Amino acid sequence: MEVDREDGRTATMLRPLACSRSVLNRAHGSASWSQGDTKVLAAVYGPKVGTKKTENPEKASIEVIWKPKTGQIGKLEREYEMILTRTLQSICILTINPNTTTSVIIQVVNDDGALLPCAINAACAALVDAGISLKHLAVAICCCLAETGCVILDPTKQEEQKMKASVYLVFPNSVLSVLQVSVTKIDEPMEHGIITSVTHGAMSVEDYFYCLKSGRAATAKLSNFLRSRLQNRLPSDLLGDT
Amino acid sequence: MSSRAGTTPSTYSPSTQKKKPQKPTFNDSNGVRSDGRGFYQCRPAYLKTGAVSAAGGSAYAEFGNTKVIVSVFGPRESKKAMMYSNVGRLNCSVSYTPFATQVRGQGSEHKEYSSVLHKALEGAILLESFPKTTVDVFALVMESGGSDLPVIISCASLALADAGIMMYDLVAAVSLSCVGPSLVIDPVLEEERWQDGSLMLTYMPCRSEVTQLAVNGEWTTPKIHEGMELCLDACKKLAGIMRSCLKEEADSPSIQ
Amino acid sequence: MGSSNASGDISADMEIDAFRRLFPVQFYERHFVKSLRPDARTLNSARDTSVALGAVSSANGSALVKIGCTTMLAAIKMEIMTPSTESPDEGNLAIEFHMPPICSPLVRPGRPADAAPVISKQLADTILSAGMINLKELCLVSGKAAWMAYLDICCLDADGALFDAALLSAVAAFSSLRIPVVSLNDEGRVFISEEMEEGKSKREPVNKEQRKLTLSNIPFSLTCVLHKNYILADPNAEEESIIETSVTVVLNSSGQLVSLYKPGGPVLAYTAAIQDCVALTKQRVQELQIILNEAISDMEVD
Repeated sequence: MEVDREDGRTATMLRPLACSRSVLNRAHGSASWSQGDTKVLAAVYGPKVGTKKTENPEKASIEVIWKPKTGQIGKLEREYEMILTRTLQSICILTINPNTTTSVIIQVVNDDGALLPCAINAACAALVDAGISLKHLAVAICCCLAETGCVILDPTKQEEQKMKASVYLVFPNSVLSVLQVSVTKIDEPMEHGIITSVTHGAMSVEDYFYCLKSGRAATAKLSNFLRSRLQNRLPSDLLGDT
Repeated sequence: MSSRAGTTPSTYSPSTQKKKPQKPTFNDSNGVRSDGRGFYQCRPAYLKTGAVSAAGGSAYAEFGNTKVIVSVFGPRESKKAMMYSNVGRLNCSVSYTPFATQVRGQGSEHKEYSSVLHKALEGAILLESFPKTTVDVFALVMESGGSDLPVIISCASLALADAGIMMYDLVAAVSLSCVGPSLVIDPVLEEERWQDGSLMLTYMPCRSEVTQLAVNGEWTTPKIHEGMELCLDACKKLAGIMRSCLKEEADSPSIQ
Repeated sequence: MGSSNASGDISADMEIDAFRRLFPVQFYERHFVKSLRPDARTLNSARDTSVALGAVSSANGSALVKIGCTTMLAAIKMEIMTPSTESPDEGNLAIEFHMPPICSPLVRPGRPADAAPVISKQLADTILSAGMINLKELCLVSGKAAWMAYLDICCLDADGALFDAALLSAVAAFSSLRIPVVSLNDEGRVFISEEMEEGKSKREPVNKEQRKLTLSNIPFSLTCVLHKNYILADPNAEEESIIETSVTVVLNSSGQLVSLYKPGGPVLAYTAAIQDCVALTKQRVQELQIILNEAISDMEVD
């Protein structure tokens, strides 16, 4: 099961995480997130008056603008924008500010693998920084499947290209609430539910579920990191009702 | 020829090795064209309404290899930038699929055809029946096989009728090519390539009104007369087919 | 939820069409309880699907696919390119998905639909990673000439599950593809050989036997939408607009998972739901395989 990775990590080890908030002073909220050498800057503007195209009288809308490191935006970036928009829409409470638009601008600083998960984490931190009401936090992770069948987490760009298949997963962060959460019919904990799943390359169905399991196991660490970063800035008494 | 490396290599479509600059031969003695039609014979037309469920009205037309789909949307809200208008607006757009032509194209809008379509239909529609709003007529040429524009116009008029937009009459359109000494009606792509002149007529048969007449190339007055008579005759027949297509649709039991 | 209670009371004295427009979610839920959908399908069944090959005569391969009202026209045009130095014996594919304004009231001319580039990208990813086409088969003369297959898919009528229909039409277009017989001239350019006139073909065709592509591991897909605990297979446009969570599963004919695509959405997909979606897709793959095979044999009879 062991796999040699160039940077000496074990298969399930993540790269060093770093997150800082309020890095931009003109934006309503911003965050920079890095996983190893992959670094993404996210800025949130809004809620503001929406354009005609995105306006919805019942819900707030969210638009994502992806700025690549160099060059123009292509199909890949359009797909990322769409995935990010729909992922963020699912974690925001959209009924609070109907008829408004919140813009999330993602600037890629450096891409060294697992770019989309990194951008989702950055966007999530930036939304919190802007004070947008969320149902829960979300954490994203990239799992790669090697030819041998073992799963490695948080790959670098080099590893990503070598692998047979890769899966990007987004999971919700468990809700810490003072309210009694009504018991759901589903026998799985909430943080096992998938918000977003994107795969590349062919794999067997069992391999997918194996990736899912490994991804879930690692998100606990990511969640704790994200939470601890957000905690620093918040007075502790506000924490209960996120 | 140097090899070009890059992400998007330049490509070309392989053509036949032998150049054949031969003109299509018209045998005047028996008056038969390359596809077996007579000079004054149109291609068999297949027309069908209700091709696109998402549209308010739509029609599909197939004349030989020319295949066209037209969707009509509206009357719906005009663009915000538009000024107030007492009468409705008609917005037309014609586009080609990338694979419609022999050489792969871009699949972009055909501006010239869009404006001709607009002019051909404008006179037939009761624009004052939908003030302040816009009716959108969008055409897509799936395959181009000659006489594209008249097929688009006839198909669009059928789609407007399917959408229930008020019109004075159906607009039927037919084109005609002048190749050498002879006139050929409803030309195919190859005949259009060799034409010396062309004539297109759009006509409302019940009112005996011409909404548009376009003449290209060099024509003598008697030739124009002859050509117009031929087109008028063909338009009347085509309008009959269009009318029966609509009737069939109305008669068929599509009870909700 | 106040609105759901309110709607329950007035629904009795409201016309069905009004109820459907005002409380679409409640309208649908009432059907789901009875394991039915407003268009009389059961929750798990897909719409009628038809495939017609060779619909466009100006293309080398083409297909018209209908899933319910969703209609896709796919066509392949083959052109010649000089292969790149990294892979001198491989041809290439260029896949483009178009949504012309005729297909939906939401698309206006000059402003391309947001969904079009995303579906283009998904299709290209899926077809390449499924391993359906061996790019080496598209090679003509190593390092000098290879085929570039331009696959263009036009949506003629958009009524939900666009990706499924587009993928099926792409696969069908490839199975109807007939590569023209070509030969090389002195300048290294490729020309179509003319078999008809004997004695005139001075040059030996370079691809006499290679007229068809061998397709292995054909990918098929099924989109499901999730609402609470209900899973609806093959949604139409109305269902897609009301229920925002969708899961697209792509399996190839050898049972491998090519893609599992869930872009966000308010409903979380738990393991059981994912397993159900995969199982539904497995059934659908068999259905689609039969439909495609029938279309292929129909074409060969003609």
